[in-house]
Amino acid sequence: EETEDGYEDEKGGFVEHACRYCGIHNPACVVRCNIPSCRKWFCNSRGNTSGSHIVNHLVRAKHKEVCLHKDSPLGETILECYNCGCRNVFLLGFISAKTDNVVVLLCREPCLSVNALKDMNWDLSQWCPLIDDRCFLPWLVKVPSEQEQLRARQISAQQINKVEELWKTNPDASLEDLEKPGVDDEPMSVAIKYEDAYQYQNVFAPLIKLEADYDKMMKESQSKDNLTVRWDVGLNKKRIAYFVFPKEDNELRLVAGDELRLRYPGDSTHPAWQSVGHVIKLTAQEEVALELRASQGVPVDLSHGFSVDFVWKSTSFDRMQSAMKTFAVDETSVSGYIYHHLLGHEVEHQVVRNPLPRRFGAPGLPELNASQVLAVKSVLQKPVSLIQGPPGTGKTVTSAAIVYHMAKQGQGQVLVCAPSNVAVDQLAEKMSATGLKVVRLCAKSREAISSPVEHLTLHYQVRHLDNTDKSELHKLQLLKDEQGELSSGDEKKYKALKRATEREILQSADVLCCTCVGAGDPRLSNFRFRQVLIDESTQSTEPECLIPLVLGVKQVVLVGDHCQLGPVIMCKKAARAGLAQSLFERLVLLGVKPFRLQVQYRMHPSLSEFPSNCFYEGTLQNGVTINERQMTGIDFPWPVPNHPMFFYVQMGQEEISASGTSYLNRTEASNVEKLVTTFLRSGVVPSQIGVITPYEGQRAYIVNYMSRNGALRQQLYKEIEVASVDSFQGREKDYIILSCVRSNEHQGIGFLNDPRRLNVALTRARYGIVILGNPKVLSKQPLWNSLLTHYKEHECLVEGPLNNLKQSMVQFQKPKKMYN
Amino acid sequence: EVAVRKKRTEVDPAEMEDFDREMKAMMQESLESRKQELRVRPATINMMIPMNIFEGGHRESESGEETLDEEPDGGGSKVRVKVLVKKGNKQQTKQMYIPGECSLVQGVKEKEAAEMEE
Ligand SMILES: [Zn+2]
Ligand SMILES: [Zn+2]
Ligand SMILES: [Zn+2]
Repeated sequence: EETEDGYEDEKGGFVEHACRYCGIHNPACVVRCNIPSCRKWFCNSRGNTSGSHIVNHLVRAKHKEVCLHKDSPLGETILECYNCGCRNVFLLGFISAKTDNVVVLLCREPCLSVNALKDMNWDLSQWCPLIDDRCFLPWLVKVPSEQEQLRARQISAQQINKVEELWKTNPDASLEDLEKPGVDDEPMSVAIKYEDAYQYQNVFAPLIKLEADYDKMMKESQSKDNLTVRWDVGLNKKRIAYFVFPKEDNELRLVAGDELRLRYPGDSTHPAWQSVGHVIKLTAQEEVALELRASQGVPVDLSHGFSVDFVWKSTSFDRMQSAMKTFAVDETSVSGYIYHHLLGHEVEHQVVRNPLPRRFGAPGLPELNASQVLAVKSVLQKPVSLIQGPPGTGKTVTSAAIVYHMAKQGQGQVLVCAPSNVAVDQLAEKMSATGLKVVRLCAKSREAISSPVEHLTLHYQVRHLDNTDKSELHKLQLLKDEQGELSSGDEKKYKALKRATEREILQSADVLCCTCVGAGDPRLSNFRFRQVLIDESTQSTEPECLIPLVLGVKQVVLVGDHCQLGPVIMCKKAARAGLAQSLFERLVLLGVKPFRLQVQYRMHPSLSEFPSNCFYEGTLQNGVTINERQMTGIDFPWPVPNHPMFFYVQMGQEEISASGTSYLNRTEASNVEKLVTTFLRSGVVPSQIGVITPYEGQRAYIVNYMSRNGALRQQLYKEIEVASVDSFQGREKDYIILSCVRSNEHQGIGFLNDPRRLNVALTRARYGIVILGNPKVLSKQPLWNSLLTHYKEHECLVEGPLNNLKQSMVQFQKPKKMYN
Repeated sequence: EVAVRKKRTEVDPAEMEDFDREMKAMMQESLESRKQELRVRPATINMMIPMNIFEGGHRESESGEETLDEEPDGGGSKVRVKVLVKKGNKQQTKQMYIPGECSLVQGVKEKEAAEMEE
């Protein structure tokens, strides 16, 4: 795929002369089978078999001729008998001249046994067969080094036999075809260790494919008709269409950067029209702002009867696939140490010998606490490290400090990534505060989206580069902005100038930051990064994490928290097979001990107690005091004033939502409204409150209910964020109200069963939390049982009207088997 | 650069046996078929070593250019040899290094040693 600016978006090519068994492609080590229907390359290593790969192939395929590589000492040469031209390598061998250092290839039958030779200058006593001990003469075709062999695909004799069998009917088949599951088969599950990067690719590639197919199917089925559009013009003169994209009760959420196609079917006065555009904004009223690519012929006089479709892009999935391929075939993609480490091979411990700074903090950042200092220090000395940042422990500051010191080590530019744009922006801001030169690379589709770090973005810097040399680019840019497009000659000139400027700005940066998928941007394809930090890495899939790594990494830092939510996988099949497990988690399973940040600065100490004990073995310390988390002038009826938390017992029934795929709970919703109203009355402002509920049905119901039945001004309720646990991850609010919804004696509690989701829900609030739920139902689950017990012990399990809360005597059920 | 601890997988003896059998069969078959061909078309020999090789050979050893010069590096000495090949009908030589202990160069080495004695 070619992008707008003429960059190739696909990289990491297949090396033609790579051994078809193991992938080794050192020209000194490979030969080509010379049978016209075959012409495959093989190396001279034995791997896990008794014969070398080339000899294996020749024997199994019954092929007998080979040709040397053009970069081998003898150049591109078909091996043949000097005398008779026989090309059967099983008959060929070298002899030398009697008196001189001249050697020649000769066949055993008949040339070696012809008497005439004896009279010449040849020494027939030392015939040296080409194939010796099931291997080509190692001085003619080198045996790959131990290192090369370890990094190659570890193919077994059985696999060789199978693939040779396959080649008889399909000469272009690859080894991957051997492992391909049938259409209805369950995909192979992820493992903890992998033999090699090919096996790794064999496992992950089908899972990514499944997820991509599912994503495509789902998004492309999102057509909406009869939309009403309102028109506007952006600062860049482009047309913007505003419309409400009705969100049904399903998993798809539009995000800024998504591509949509807006259509008008045509009528008696208007021709049919369509244009694609990018979502640049989603308003609080759930209105979508779509910036159209084409500015001509837009039917701006119309407002009704439009349709919209989702334009699915495979870019992110393509980049994951490409990264896995690069990881396998390009031995410079990651250091040898990291290659083996990531695959779970046992590697000798390695220390990074970079000088340590005297101070571990960084200018422009808050002073680091003891555990943050230790984290920075330990990371700087290790080629692979994990940092676990529980909620509110300052992992962004710690990450920024690490990057600051890495950048100062003079190892070249540092690459900093995270799966989400929000996290990348936050990091970019912090790193920039240290005085480092930070460039934030955005996807082209997101350039029109406003960002808190716009001044750091590449596209902004290209436009605002204060340099007279660039006046030509500026002139063309202005012209393009004014006219919408340029003449083809000017367009060419514009692109070339822009590309050169982009490269210049990128090269001048100390730190480049982008999303993990963004690291596969063609604009970075010629860049190499020895040091890479990935924040929120526990929220990305392995192949996603690999994208920034295969640009030459020698030192990697993964930051995240595997006790919070992982990556979102839509395809159940792929999720079941383990695609939702992050690289961070697998490394933990492999025995890498994450360095845990231990002081939290977010929650009132009463709020951090349970999460600390339950998810972090009680190690979480409080960096804030009770006094610092007491809001002055707020009079809210906390049952125990020193513990700004309570579990509000609800016995209302759950219902299936109108769409039939979600749940709602009316009693809980009405009590949420009462709680919100009480907060607002006590002096809390709407932006301080977050309402969390795991069900879209309940979310929609609460929003609706509050704006219709709220006791105060409607606008106040509209400003309150009501969202899922997942969309609150990585964020905080002063007050959190959690509505659990599920209240069915006989069924499970669904989403709430995931301890990581509960952890996230419980750790968003800074000053206070209220949980609404049915203890009788929730107590069946061991984790919820201990949460309820915790609230009860603190006299915070209450019922009754808000102005007269009483301790509840509700009986808990015995928890079922332990959740691990 | 990196030390990987990994037990080398043992080669399955059954596989080895099977492979050897196949390979022997191929050798045998190759030899037999050659013999068949030869009944029809007997071999002739045209194995002259081009004289320029000898002329440029160790007779000019004073210059240290074209003699058995051994490469010191890479563990074990290596000997530079000329490989005689045919490109179409033209004779050509190509340089290559082979290990000093290879039987191919033993004869020449001995001869050189003997000449030195003289
Ligand atoms: Zn072949
Ligand atoms: Zn091979
Ligand atoms: Zn011959």
